[in-house]
Amino acid sequence: MGPSVEARSIVVSVEGMTCNSCVQTIEQHIGKINGIHSIKVSLEGKNATIIYDPRLHTPESLQAVVGDMGFDATLADSVP
Amino acid sequence: MPKHEFSVEMTCEGCSNAVTRVLNKLGGVQFEIDLPNKKVCIDSEHSVDTLLATLKKTGKDASYLGEK
Repeated sequence: MGPSVEARSIVVSVEGMTCNSCVQTIEQHIGKINGIHSIKVSLEGKNATIIYDPRLHTPESLQAVVGDMGFDATLADSVP
Repeated sequence: MPKHEFSVEMTCEGCSNAVTRVLNKLGGVQFEIDLPNKKVCIDSEHSVDTLLATLKKTGKDASYLGEK
């Protein structure tokens, strides 16, 4: 990876997902957003691990994106 | 007020709850969700475009079926 590539990861708690189609919708939708490197959603863990470019996103903006989709998103507090 | 019918690809209650949330956020809407038939019936002064854009925010396929 070149020095220009920046990536940070956060875990967002997501409430309101009940099935795999919810998971897929979130992964597809968020994965398409510019500045998102990857996203992994866990139905059992009720959370989403997002690897993103910190120049384009903040934890708050990512929370808002998930929230706009109609799910309750909260930032996990253990992330620096 | 006109009643608009939309088709939304919902597969479970999580999906329909998500639709409920985004519509409530928009405000000024009264709606019924028919999960088995994947239909959302909305009673609102908002334009069809606004409603459709709101439904699409959930990331699900949505299309306008017409007035009811």
